[in-house]
Amino acid sequence: MKKKVYFSAAFLTLLIAAVPASAATLGGKIAFEGRPPAIEKVKTDADPKCKMAHPDGLASDQVIVNPNGTLKNVFVYVKSGLEGKAFEAPKEPVVFDQKGCQYSPKVFGIQVNQPLEIVNSDDTLHNVHSLPTQSQAFNLGMPIKGMKLKKTFTKPEVMVKIKCEVHPWMSAWAGVLDHPFFGVSNEEGQFEIKNLPPGQYVIEAWHEKYGSQTQSVTVTDKDAETAFTFKAA
Amino acid sequence: MNNSRLHLYSKFLTAATLVLIAAGGLVTSTRSGLSVPDWPLSYGKLFPPMIGGIRFEHTHRVIAGLVGVLTLVLMIALLKTEKRPWLKGLGVAAFGAVIAQAVLGGLTVKYLLPAPISVLHACLAQSFFALMASVALFTSREWLGEKPILSENAASLRRLVLATSGFVFLQLFLGAVARHSANRASVGIHIAVAFLIVLHALLTYLKISREKTILGRLDRHAALFGLLALIQIFLGFGSFVFTRMLEKTEAPRLGAVLFTTAHQTLGALILGLVVLLTIRIFRLYQKPL
Repeated sequence: MKKKVYFSAAFLTLLIAAVPASAATLGGKIAFEGRPPAIEKVKTDADPKCKMAHPDGLASDQVIVNPNGTLKNVFVYVKSGLEGKAFEAPKEPVVFDQKGCQYSPKVFGIQVNQPLEIVNSDDTLHNVHSLPTQSQAFNLGMPIKGMKLKKTFTKPEVMVKIKCEVHPWMSAWAGVLDHPFFGVSNEEGQFEIKNLPPGQYVIEAWHEKYGSQTQSVTVTDKDAETAFTFKAA
Repeated sequence: MNNSRLHLYSKFLTAATLVLIAAGGLVTSTRSGLSVPDWPLSYGKLFPPMIGGIRFEHTHRVIAGLVGVLTLVLMIALLKTEKRPWLKGLGVAAFGAVIAQAVLGGLTVKYLLPAPISVLHACLAQSFFALMASVALFTSREWLGEKPILSENAASLRRLVLATSGFVFLQLFLGAVARHSANRASVGIHIAVAFLIVLHALLTYLKISREKTILGRLDRHAALFGLLALIQIFLGFGSFVFTRMLEKTEAPRLGAVLFTTAHQTLGALILGLVVLLTIRIFRLYQKPL
């Protein structure tokens, strides 16, 4: 009986330690200033299936300025402020698809050792080549539609490029972190970092073309907002 | 195979090797080196769908296979019909080089283009081309029939072309490092050595033209070397502009592909020419006793 009480008390203590007393969402917008670069059209003639999907060529997805003047595909994450804390990697995978001879998502975050499920939804052949400097690189052939593969990154790294050498216009970026506090700006230029415990953090926003910016942010138990502005090169 | 047939066959193999080098250059220039993730098969097949980067990588593999078979035939022909043991040895070395080159090609795929292996693969490719060109020379009528002459300038001429050959080999290595690694210093040295080679080509031409007896149209050989070295500087400049000065695009620009592939292929041709020139000068001009 005594043993049971001890175990229950220990379990309760662990549970309390694991869930932060309070957590907030850090949201914000990524503004873009200046003239957006001309949209480069990529020829997809090299593969008839890709050409069929994009008969007029494919617009480059390197820089996407939203109609409301914000920037899409900016990776925003907690760069520092979480030292000494450990976060278990989620069991559910991040799904990374090859569809219409494009990667979806173009930019994403993933935790160290979290499964990355790579899917080929195209009726054509792709190779998926990751180029990390900290984890083991991989280059996988995915010749069949519907094929799925799982991979993990073993070390944090911002950012890891992923590309397809069969279709050289296909590239994506993964932000590999040892914590779950990251987000990517969407079609409205908005991002969200959820369940962030109160504290002082350095937040970094990274874009493939325009580089990265940092800001110091103090988070309390209430939701907070921040904003970044990227300028045309 | 008699000697004239062997000579013709060696010339054909030399030309096939140059085509292979151009095909390999296209693989690098179009960034297709890893478009086929397995080796020796391609996506588990002998003939994968020829789309995107696979068109370049798999074509390179097919031509490489053909050159491998052709080299095996050359080795067998030399072992069967050739009387000179050293030439038989060269045949065996050539086949060994083809096998080594195939293994290096496989390693570049398996280990995702490690720079040292890629550099070695590039250097061995061009050295193999020079070796094939040399075999063609060794089986030629000139090599078997032409009598050497005694020349007072033989020693200095030999020294000059030997140094030139050394510079061209160094240039091959520097070019391969510049192409396959992020090393910036190699680009600067590569540019400096290019001008040194043009200077050497000019000196070699002048020295040969001053000879009383010009054997085997060596002056034309040297002039062609000089001309190609000048064209190579132009191609090198174009490659530099496209790969180092212009912003890198997702898919490689056509200009970058054409300039870099032509620059690399002409580099092989120049190496072959200078190696032949060196061997011929050593053979045709001898120092008086």
